[in-house]
Amino acid sequence: MSMDRGQREGDEVLLMGNEAIARGALEAGVQVAAGYPGTPSSEIIETLSRFAETGKLYVEWSTNEKVAMETAAAASFAGLRSLCVMKQNGVNVASDFLLHLAGSGTRAGMILITCDDPGALSSVNEGESRHFARLMEIPLLEPADFQEAKEMTRWAFTLSEEIRNIVMVRSVTRMSHASGNVILGALPPAVRKAEFLCDGAVSDPERGPVISAPVIEKHRLQQEKIRKAAAIFEKSPFNAYSGPERPELLIITSSACRLYSLEAVSLLDAEDRVGILKLGTTWPLPPALLKRVLSTTEKILIVEEVLPFLEEQVKILAAEQVREIGVKTFYGKNDGALPMAGELNPDLAMAAVGRILGIDPPVLSSAYRKKLRAFAGLAPRREQTFCPGCPHRASYWSIREALQRDGRGGFVCGDIGCYAMASLFPAAGFYTAKTLHAMGSGTGLASGFGKLGSFGMDQPIIAVCGDSTFYHAAIPALINAVHQNANIIFIALDNNGTAMTGFQSHPGIDINAMGDASPVVDIAALCGAIGAKVVVGDPFALQETRETLNRLMEGQQGVKVLILKQSCALSPEKKGTKRYLMQVDDALCRGDACGCNRLCTRIFRCPGLLWNREKKKAQIDEVICAGCGVCAGICPAEAIRCEEAAKS
Amino acid sequence: MRETERKADSSEEEKVQGGQRELEERVLRTGFCTGCGACVNLCPYQASYRDRTVILHHCDLAQGRCFAFCPRTPADLTDMKSRFYDEADLTHELGAVKGFFIARAAQEGNRRRSQHGGVVTALMTLALREGLIDAAVLTEKGEELLPRAVTVSEPEAAAQLGGSRFVVSPTVAEFNRALRTDCRRIGVVATPCQALAIAKMRLQPLAAAESGMDRLKLVVGLFCGWALSWRPLTDILREKTDLAAVIGMDIPPSRYHTLEVYMPEETARFSLDEITPCVRESCRSCADMTAEFSDLSVGSARLPEGWEAARLWNQVIVRTKRGRDLLELARRRGVLEFREVPAGNLEKLKAASLNKKKAANRPQGQSGAGDRMGQAG
Repeated sequence: MSMDRGQREGDEVLLMGNEAIARGALEAGVQVAAGYPGTPSSEIIETLSRFAETGKLYVEWSTNEKVAMETAAAASFAGLRSLCVMKQNGVNVASDFLLHLAGSGTRAGMILITCDDPGALSSVNEGESRHFARLMEIPLLEPADFQEAKEMTRWAFTLSEEIRNIVMVRSVTRMSHASGNVILGALPPAVRKAEFLCDGAVSDPERGPVISAPVIEKHRLQQEKIRKAAAIFEKSPFNAYSGPERPELLIITSSACRLYSLEAVSLLDAEDRVGILKLGTTWPLPPALLKRVLSTTEKILIVEEVLPFLEEQVKILAAEQVREIGVKTFYGKNDGALPMAGELNPDLAMAAVGRILGIDPPVLSSAYRKKLRAFAGLAPRREQTFCPGCPHRASYWSIREALQRDGRGGFVCGDIGCYAMASLFPAAGFYTAKTLHAMGSGTGLASGFGKLGSFGMDQPIIAVCGDSTFYHAAIPALINAVHQNANIIFIALDNNGTAMTGFQSHPGIDINAMGDASPVVDIAALCGAIGAKVVVGDPFALQETRETLNRLMEGQQGVKVLILKQSCALSPEKKGTKRYLMQVDDALCRGDACGCNRLCTRIFRCPGLLWNREKKKAQIDEVICAGCGVCAGICPAEAIRCEEAAKS
Repeated sequence: MRETERKADSSEEEKVQGGQRELEERVLRTGFCTGCGACVNLCPYQASYRDRTVILHHCDLAQGRCFAFCPRTPADLTDMKSRFYDEADLTHELGAVKGFFIARAAQEGNRRRSQHGGVVTALMTLALREGLIDAAVLTEKGEELLPRAVTVSEPEAAAQLGGSRFVVSPTVAEFNRALRTDCRRIGVVATPCQALAIAKMRLQPLAAAESGMDRLKLVVGLFCGWALSWRPLTDILREKTDLAAVIGMDIPPSRYHTLEVYMPEETARFSLDEITPCVRESCRSCADMTAEFSDLSVGSARLPEGWEAARLWNQVIVRTKRGRDLLELARRRGVLEFREVPAGNLEKLKAASLNKKKAANRPQGQSGAGDRMGQAG
């Protein structure tokens, strides 16, 4: 089940956390929503885009998170409620604007939703966006269940308008991607008209220009807003204590960790001994509430993900109030009761509570554990690799073959997208990709490497970059490389969509987030315009790609751009279709023997190729083979054959 | 080659075998790779690029043809020679010698296109014309001094491909490819290392049967002092020449100490001091100057009249009956003309060949290049 237009106020609907957040925004009357795709945040904009309607709700996938925040801020300045959405590291991208926006303040309610990824389930970092709230001095809310995700999002707009500043709502993967029942509220009937009132004095928050200067004055004003938020938070229903009046141990927790804490206490049968203070407003902390709850006990355990954010705030408050509340013993991240890296779970929480209270955690019976192992053994071992028909496999294959031929130790600077897999799982990228950082950083690093020739470095340098990443953050780095005459090959792996996060549109696609026709910004034209030499190729043409790469490696100093265009195998236009029907000719397949030694299944490793242990021959998995035909080009015995598939 | 010679002395030792890993550790990484291409076109794991052999992907087979065919992996050369040649013909310095001649192509045009006497070109053209072979694996000029190995079946095409190459071509890789075509009788023009690789292939019973090595009908060997590495050579040459305009190169006898680079309008000269650092690492340890594993070997001549006269002639060592038959056919058909071998020429050649063997067995760094270089043709 998911959200649709037919649902009404009072309906109880099973919603994913991200849908609940989107619903809360709709109920608040949001009129502009902008974001950049990134797991686990993408479904919020996707859900909102289904409710987009001219004059009522505008939704966009922006080129990056900073632009998304600016887009939303403009709406707020013009009197429309707005939100921007991003994953944790997106806040880093937006943070420069956020610093100034927090200083200038907002008008109509504006919220920043960030979805963090503790444990880096689909990230290459486990950055903690909560620290931005404190750094930028803006209020922070953290929902702990699905209903609350909706209510809190709706209320965040109200809070934003009350303090005239942006409010941050922080979710985590287990919140955003899990589902639960949510009772829907009403959608507001009225829409506001957009107008930016800007004919007043700088000091006029309603009609003046929106700037962060005069800085000191505005900064003081911003801090007043934070104090006001703290006062409001004292009475917030999102903060709740449950448990005995005088608990032996007080758990302070937020977000998904609240459920872990509840489960831990329940499993230990310690409800009579442990109280749980669940905080929904996690910055600034409401001091009076904390003082009251801290007074009830001497032992406090803070359960949160990932860094000791709450823990440090609570300790500061406790230190400030030590004369009134007495000396406390704190457990959490700093003392090692809970790990400071990776996700938490009920077991970790239970172990921590058990150790503090001296309770042995319940032991699973050996029969149960045996069964558990048996079931785990049933799951086939799968390596993380590119999908059948993925153009990236073909691209990296050619890169590998070109670099090995060149022989000067060249390497690939990786970037963010499915093709990052080449850096994370070396076999998937045929051991070519050697760096992986932030979006666009592959190009920036390459630009830097490309200037080290005068220090004796003669390794060919290749930056790879997906189409969406190109628009997001690679352009400034590429312009730098051109301007500095860095000696690099820039490969745009253009698979025609923001494929990794689910085919969201980007400036290279001719429709926008709402499905309307949109002008296209052409990568090749843009690269040509900044002065790079541009070659466009098809990654499925292995030999041509490889020869082009070797030619570019030998070529003149400077930036050489190769755009490898081929749609993602899972893209809407390709999914479920096969260009070729593939077949292995058993008579020609050499198998294990000297002469090929299973190149196709051992090195190329497309999941669509199987190794038949009985026949000792390669075989096509017809179910998952995408029919791209690339493997026919790598088989030295020409045993893999392509037959043009009938058009359906 | 030092290792191989040692191997010959200890025949009791177990036969050393290996796969790509051993090939990489013992040949490619150590600089012993000759770029001959023996390990290429057998599988997708190695390739020839420029004048180098590269590993594209890793193969984990414990034993492979790549290692077995490589001219720089251990082999019992003494045993090999006794299998291919008449014991009575074997010499310590030059391998099998059935006959020794000074010859040149009768047609002036053939000579002009060739490095010196044009004997190799004339013989390969003849072999194709007479149907002794139906495919000739040769080397063509290529671009920017990067020669290309090719297989030709037309005598006219073979006649166009004279001239020495100073950078190696992956001839054996091309031979491996030719073996997969329907050629019935294959002839190869090979440097010493390439000829050795092909000889090793003939001795691999399984691989030989599978790939049809019995279709190999002729190996014409080239005298070789050493070859040059493409990248450093072209870096030097580019300073004074336009690589695209180079039509040939030569090194006159050692007293000139010069590499001549011929272009249509001019000749550029480079001191050998500048050029010798470009000699392939692998050539410095090569003990074979005259391509001892061939049917006949051809190189530049030395004559009492001096270099200007000598440069139009070749020296030919006939090693097998097949080689002798071809040379005699060439004489009968008037394709080659011969002159008397000056007294002492064979002894000088033996001395030069022995010098190379000695240099190859010197510790690294001391082995100077011989006074002959390039691949005669």
